[in-house]
Amino acid sequence: MTKIKNAALHMFKVLWQPFLAIFLGLIVGAIVILIVGHNPITVYITMFQKSFFTLHYLLQSLTRSVPILVCSLAIVASWRAGYINLGVEGQMTVGSFVGTLVAVYMPGPTFVVIIAAVLCGMMAGAAYSLFAAFIYDKFNVSIVISTLMMNYIATYITTYFITFSLRDTSSVYAIQTKEIAMAMRLPRILPGKPFNLGFFIAIALVILLMFVVSKTKFGYESKMTGLNPVFAQYGGVKKTRVMYSTMALSGAIAACAGMLEIFGIKFRFVESMFTSTGYAWTGLMAALISGLHPIGAGFTSIFLAGMQVGGQNIQLSTGIPVQVATLIQSSIILFVSVQLFANWRKKSKLKAAADSKKAGDE
Amino acid sequence: MKHITKIYGNGVLANDDMNLELAESEILAVVGENGAGKSTLMKILYGLEHPTAGEIYIRGEKQVFKNPQDAMKSGIGMVQQNFMLLPPFTVAENIVYGNEPRKSRFLFDRKKAKAEVDELSERYGLGIDSNLVVEDCPVGLQQRCEILKVLYQNADIIIFDEPSAVLTPQEVDSLLDTLRNLAKAGKSIILITHKLNEVMAVSDRCIVMRGGKHIATVKTSETSTKELSAMMVGREIVDAKIPQATPGKTVLEVNDLVKTGEAGKPILKGCSLHVNEGEIVGIAGVSGNGQTELLHTIVGLMQADSGNIVLDGKEIGGLDVRSIRETGCAYVPEDRNTMGCALKATLSETMLMAHQYEEMFNHKGILKHKTAAERFTALLEQYDVKYSTLSQLSGELSGGNLQKLIVAREMSHHAKLLIVSEPTRGVDIGAMEFIHNQILKQRAEGGAILLVSSDLTELLKLSDRIYVMYDGFINGELKRAEAKPENVGILMMGGSADD
Ligand SMILES: Nc1ncnc2c1ncn2[C@@H]1O[C@H](COP(=O)(O)OP(=O)(O)OP(=O)(O)O)[C@@H](O)[C@H]1O
Ligand SMILES: [Mg+2]
Repeated sequence: MTKIKNAALHMFKVLWQPFLAIFLGLIVGAIVILIVGHNPITVYITMFQKSFFTLHYLLQSLTRSVPILVCSLAIVASWRAGYINLGVEGQMTVGSFVGTLVAVYMPGPTFVVIIAAVLCGMMAGAAYSLFAAFIYDKFNVSIVISTLMMNYIATYITTYFITFSLRDTSSVYAIQTKEIAMAMRLPRILPGKPFNLGFFIAIALVILLMFVVSKTKFGYESKMTGLNPVFAQYGGVKKTRVMYSTMALSGAIAACAGMLEIFGIKFRFVESMFTSTGYAWTGLMAALISGLHPIGAGFTSIFLAGMQVGGQNIQLSTGIPVQVATLIQSSIILFVSVQLFANWRKKSKLKAAADSKKAGDE
Repeated sequence: MKHITKIYGNGVLANDDMNLELAESEILAVVGENGAGKSTLMKILYGLEHPTAGEIYIRGEKQVFKNPQDAMKSGIGMVQQNFMLLPPFTVAENIVYGNEPRKSRFLFDRKKAKAEVDELSERYGLGIDSNLVVEDCPVGLQQRCEILKVLYQNADIIIFDEPSAVLTPQEVDSLLDTLRNLAKAGKSIILITHKLNEVMAVSDRCIVMRGGKHIATVKTSETSTKELSAMMVGREIVDAKIPQATPGKTVLEVNDLVKTGEAGKPILKGCSLHVNEGEIVGIAGVSGNGQTELLHTIVGLMQADSGNIVLDGKEIGGLDVRSIRETGCAYVPEDRNTMGCALKATLSETMLMAHQYEEMFNHKGILKHKTAAERFTALLEQYDVKYSTLSQLSGELSGGNLQKLIVAREMSHHAKLLIVSEPTRGVDIGAMEFIHNQILKQRAEGGAILLVSSDLTELLKLSDRIYVMYDGFINGELKRAEAKPENVGILMMGGSADD
């Protein structure tokens, strides 16, 4: 009994912050809707009906949430250890590109090809993020900057390949690879709906990451490195090893995010497919809102995906521009950042200044 | 302060109906065991925490402090234990930071700042060169800089939370002088400390707290250290008899360690020492003479340029921290907040550090949380650490309790070599006695102990042998019978034993 109570209390601790932010964000959204000249209550009812409270739309939201959710896990994995990986987009691009190529071109039994594709994809994503860790380790290039820049490199290199050598020439307009074989696609759960096994794989990843984070030595050491690197080092944690493993894990998860989208929905790699959708950035928001907690990030990702789906649908049915939904989303983020900012402000201004000065010196 | 009660978010009752009065020009000491609620009460007065109930009156007027800025406006200042200074700037710049004198709207008036600071430092007899850059100042001067900062903000009431914990004995003396001068100049002072001789030396009145409650208020002239300590802990403290040491074979041997720091500044200039089984070896020295670097080199946090280190027959120079720890070394660091813990980690996470790779807590990479929780609970109980749950954050413990936790964690390794630096910093006299006994117990079990402490009394009491460090080398070695405060003092200042 007390165990259940404790678990509930724990969940509350994890989730109250995102919930409050969401609530305040909705209020700001309501004001905007009023200004635009609609009734916020009916708009919200439509929005929630068309995102969560009808089976059809619920499945649409859940499907959309898969890449966002997995991206948020990639962020959680790296940021917890204090490594600000902003390159999830690039890692998912490179990883899923390699995965798709293996799936399309490798001969052999389906089952073997799938395994090979997933492994190669994850390794490619991990390698791509490891490169950032490597140049930080050897040449002290900030991970924030290198990972961010490598997003562009990933997009342009993949675009180059699919524009020329690897392009599916059956379509004149679309720049994309060939489709992966029918048998390799993630099975759909209900006939006629795009909702597929990918969602459950994503949930499994949440549980897996939760396990890594809370039960393993690696999770412990990476959390301690994030909280206080000096303390971790003092306790015998090998900092560079934690950094490499953390970044590799993050990159591999990012690759999964891309592959789940391709193997479940798109079935091929399309030019700039992850840049235009912004999954990685929505995932980043989800991870931040939930204080880098895997389960919190899972829920928040689903919610944000629902907001996007609902937003698109209110545009169709009420004529309110999709930007309003984006605006609600942004205000939620804003409220969470205010919360974070307030915590941060508490620490003396001076100390912050001293730290930044020190950081600048390094 | 009237009827102050404070209950923290996690249900801890830190202050229970506390009353406190402070007169002008008075030095009031606040004493009490670890976790008694002293810091909490002061944080409330300084606006860092909000009371659950109770009121604050300044000169008869009721005040509500939302934040330290409010408190400062009412003339209350606090000298923090962790200095909030900007290391690369000069003393003067640091002091005026936030209230800079200006030439025009945007231009900082450096000259005026310096003049004002010099005037202030002269008036209260602080004697500090305002052109010094803070990062080059020893801790004692940095603290004076903090005091000046508070004075610059026109504080009439100045709170000191364990100001002497980080100071050398000489610095403590001048701090006490400063306190007297401030009181003479009309300032009111609240001093929290665990060192009862300081209470006796400077205070006019003394408040004793226990379990968040007010136990007694006494005039300092009408009490004694003995009475105070009895009131604090509720029992008498007896000095433990220290049995004769029976040193065995050598556990740690350090030969000719040389280390050059940034910009070619020599830090260690050829240090050699050894520690045997069943022996406590102390290192005396004014802090900043290479002690910290020496310890960091031994435990693997730093690499020496030359020299070698042998632990339990194995060369450990150049090995990483974990391998050295696994060879048989535990370390209580001098600074509990920056190295000893992560303030945002839970108690169990903090206690697991350096145990996470031990078989007892780790099965093929999976942590055994249950075993850990049982062990940690027992250990915290044994060390009498006041806490509410293992999942609370380390930063929520009182300073002394956190220190006890770190000591408990390192002692529980039962390592062949135990390195302890400032083991009793910030702990109350009861806990100090306990920690000393634990160290002696490890010695009796054949442990080799290397002790660094700026508290000379502690060092002389525990050490069977003492090395004195000065300017990066060992300036002398004394046996227990030879070591007296006087000759250790001479060696600490760079003199020779024959003087
Ligand atoms: N931020 C906090 N959250 C929860 N509990 C806290 C917090 N700060 C202090 N406490 C608890 O309040 C009690 C009093 O703590 P306080 O720091 O005032 O003690 P103290 O008298 O200063 O002790 P010490 O001599 O060890 O510094 C302790 O039990 C401590 O665990
Ligand atoms: Mg305290």
